[in-house]
Amino acid sequence: MKVAVVGGSGYVGGELLRILLRHPEVEVAQVTSESRAGQPVGRAHPNLRKATDLTFVPRARLAAADATFVAAPHGQAHAIVPGLLDAGAPVFDLSADYRLHDPAAYPEYYGAAHPHPELLSLSVYGLPELHRDPLRTADLVAVPGCIATASILALHPLVRSGLLADGPVVVDAKSGSSASGQDAGPAGQHAERAGVMRAYAPTGHRHTAEIEQETGARVALSCHSVEAVRGVLATVHAATVRAVETKELWRAYRAAYGNEPFVRIVHETDGIHREPEPKILAGTNFCDVGFAADTHVPRVVALGAIDNLGKGAAGNAVQCFNVRMGFPETAGLEFLGLHPI
Amino acid sequence: MSGCPECEATVESATKIPGEVFPCPDCGTELEVLGTQPFAVALAPKEAEDWGE
Repeated sequence: MKVAVVGGSGYVGGELLRILLRHPEVEVAQVTSESRAGQPVGRAHPNLRKATDLTFVPRARLAAADATFVAAPHGQAHAIVPGLLDAGAPVFDLSADYRLHDPAAYPEYYGAAHPHPELLSLSVYGLPELHRDPLRTADLVAVPGCIATASILALHPLVRSGLLADGPVVVDAKSGSSASGQDAGPAGQHAERAGVMRAYAPTGHRHTAEIEQETGARVALSCHSVEAVRGVLATVHAATVRAVETKELWRAYRAAYGNEPFVRIVHETDGIHREPEPKILAGTNFCDVGFAADTHVPRVVALGAIDNLGKGAAGNAVQCFNVRMGFPETAGLEFLGLHPI
Repeated sequence: MSGCPECEATVESATKIPGEVFPCPDCGTELEVLGTQPFAVALAPKEAEDWGE
């Protein structure tokens, strides 16, 4: 199957290519970049040297493919996606431009009205754990944001359990520097980023809208930059209607994820890796979820850990692609990660 | 089969013998085989510090 990647020179594009170039059912036919047109892919992504002869082409030279991944920045996919849909092949958009179902949410969270609100009802939120059946026939898949992915997967079983008290759920998220992309600006400079523990969005983070849309919970999200290149850890603090036993949490998470290939329930009573942590997930498509029942106050702490470029972007996009195309869901995504790393 | 007392994971009985201590496959808690007919497990006793003996 021939696929194309639009906007392939960024970190997400590079991760997509790393996965797709070894996918057993895929031939990467084209990869576009306006800024690197004419350059070999390996110059932008040195880990892909000798893995492909592809060079970046400008989007104007994009030809029809059997499926197209769009890794363009937020605000640019708006204009790219409609033409791709007209060509009749499925589109997997990794930007935020088609994630929210409610057009009114775009001015609030993204600062402008959506230019194609009629397409929002067409898009399927690309989280197989929540929307596997609609994904099988989707024309447009809106791949979730990284912080949203970790938060939703951690929180979803709790909402389903009926254990949560009324009121907002607090989500405290930490992310590595690659989540800001290649054009992070002054905040990404080494002198500013090294050793960082920065609350860059104590309130008002855009992913709030996705988490609320997908879980139905009222969410208070705070986001921090930490000293890591890859990784998101979302810590959910949820008040419960009563004291909760750990066994109840095991039941709730097993009911949600017992058969999921990429969600692992991690809550161990011994060892040094008892709860989810993103470090060991680098390069994988896993989301490790965990939990702890607070015996002091009626509260549950839930955890979601991912590689922001893996399950938080490119890996999850390929998982959605596999679901959509009828391939084995784990195809191309079998990497187990590294330890130590 | 039996259930882990800590997390209720299904614990397989094949090849286990009475007195054997093994970790739960889900939560890692150390379990001890109480018997095999029927198969039953319990939390394995933790080793206490052995001061001065």
